[in-house]
Amino acid sequence: MLQLNRRGLGAALAAAVGLLTLGAASTSQAQGTRDPGAEQFVQASAQKVIGILADKSLSETQKEAVFHRAIDELADVPKITNFVLGKYARSITPEQKARFTPTFRAYAESVYRNRLDDYHGEVVKVTGSTVRKPGDVIVNTQITGGQNAQPVDVAWRVLGGPAGWKAVDVQFKGVWLAITQQQDFVSTIDNAHGNIDVLIAQLQRDAKRPLAKR
Amino acid sequence: MTRRSRSTGRLAAPLWLIGLCLAGVVVATGAAAQTAEAPAPRPERANVAPEALPDAPVAYDPWRPMNRGLFAFGMGLDHAVFAPVAHGYMKVTPAPVRNRVSSVVYNLSEPSTVLEDVLQGHPKRAGRAAGRFVVNSTVGLLGLFDVATRWGLEPHESDFGQTLGRYGAQPGPYIFVPVIGPSNLRDGIGRIVDVATDPIGFLTGPITSTAGGVRYGVTALDQRALSDPAFEALKDATDPYVTTRSAYTQYRADAVRRATGETQALPDFDAGPGAQ
Repeated sequence: MLQLNRRGLGAALAAAVGLLTLGAASTSQAQGTRDPGAEQFVQASAQKVIGILADKSLSETQKEAVFHRAIDELADVPKITNFVLGKYARSITPEQKARFTPTFRAYAESVYRNRLDDYHGEVVKVTGSTVRKPGDVIVNTQITGGQNAQPVDVAWRVLGGPAGWKAVDVQFKGVWLAITQQQDFVSTIDNAHGNIDVLIAQLQRDAKRPLAKR
Repeated sequence: MTRRSRSTGRLAAPLWLIGLCLAGVVVATGAAAQTAEAPAPRPERANVAPEALPDAPVAYDPWRPMNRGLFAFGMGLDHAVFAPVAHGYMKVTPAPVRNRVSSVVYNLSEPSTVLEDVLQGHPKRAGRAAGRFVVNSTVGLLGLFDVATRWGLEPHESDFGQTLGRYGAQPGPYIFVPVIGPSNLRDGIGRIVDVATDPIGFLTGPITSTAGGVRYGVTALDQRALSDPAFEALKDATDPYVTTRSAYTQYRADAVRRATGETQALPDFDAGPGAQ
């Protein structure tokens, strides 16, 4: 079975949902070159999130609140929410979208927090970046320390520019999480003959499951 | 603590081979044609999973009903047998001890990595893997400690499926094999070759020998323990079969890209819903 290091995955998830807007200046560059602004954004934001998660002075309730705010402020939630619906983003009704958006949000937060339970103390180090096109950058990082016996390579896809960057996906061991989630969700809707309500109901159930039973 | 992922896959190949033969994959000549130079299957083609999307690595899954059945059976088997064993191992063995076991298991796969790096035309990587094996087998006390990484010899993974991909072989049909996990025709063949050409395997003997049996057993246990987070993560998936398939397909596509140096095509987040 595919290996997904728990703390490594946690690292990826942690940074994925906790990116800060840095607003660092960067210039449009040709594909293949590095983007210092995007790198700085990932370095600062990922490290800050790890610090929050490692903060033992915060209660669980406080951490949950911080987590929620981090997503609000830093991740491109609308884009990710739309992306994970795949082809069904075209056919979802406004009423369904209004129910799906908060449901997906609650599901994602619940899942990520569960994965991050024993994740703390790591250090993020940017190792490079690749500009796919202006405003679309893959930033490579290595996460070390904490309980990681070996450095964990994590790549971040960030969109934006000098006015601000946002993360839309994160990759660990070659696996992009948003892409995987999209294929998961689309298949679930396909299996329900296109009924998006089935996915919404399943996400609602999953989000409500106690952490210990996950 | 998961650190490496590949070595056990090679050792598990005998069981995998049984599953593969049962599934009739080896004799599927039509599927074998998929390993040739033909372009990768695209979503609009017949037999491509309807949930597949442009630009992301797409699994060619013509045997999906069978695969779903095998996946359900494999997960049930894991739940009943392998997970309890692995959890028992994880409960009685401290993480530092398990890390040492993983290190030894991984170190024994380095000679195969050297071989594959040579076949892929990457002499520097081959030298690095060889250096890692020498350093960790001696200074690292038979692989118990990864001294080589501290000395700047970073680990990397190479296998024959990746080598085939390096020279243009497409993944071929996806298949899920209980006990072994997800695979495809190219990587399944690769696993067989990996086991057949494993230099350490020549020393330890087949699984029926004492040394070979111990190695396979320890490796399988280590692999399952390392996989536990992935099994846990699957509980959060709305369609665990597709999540497994998607993750595996991306993982292997990335392995081939590491061998070829190609750039990954990615979906467009900025496009409207119609673009998906």
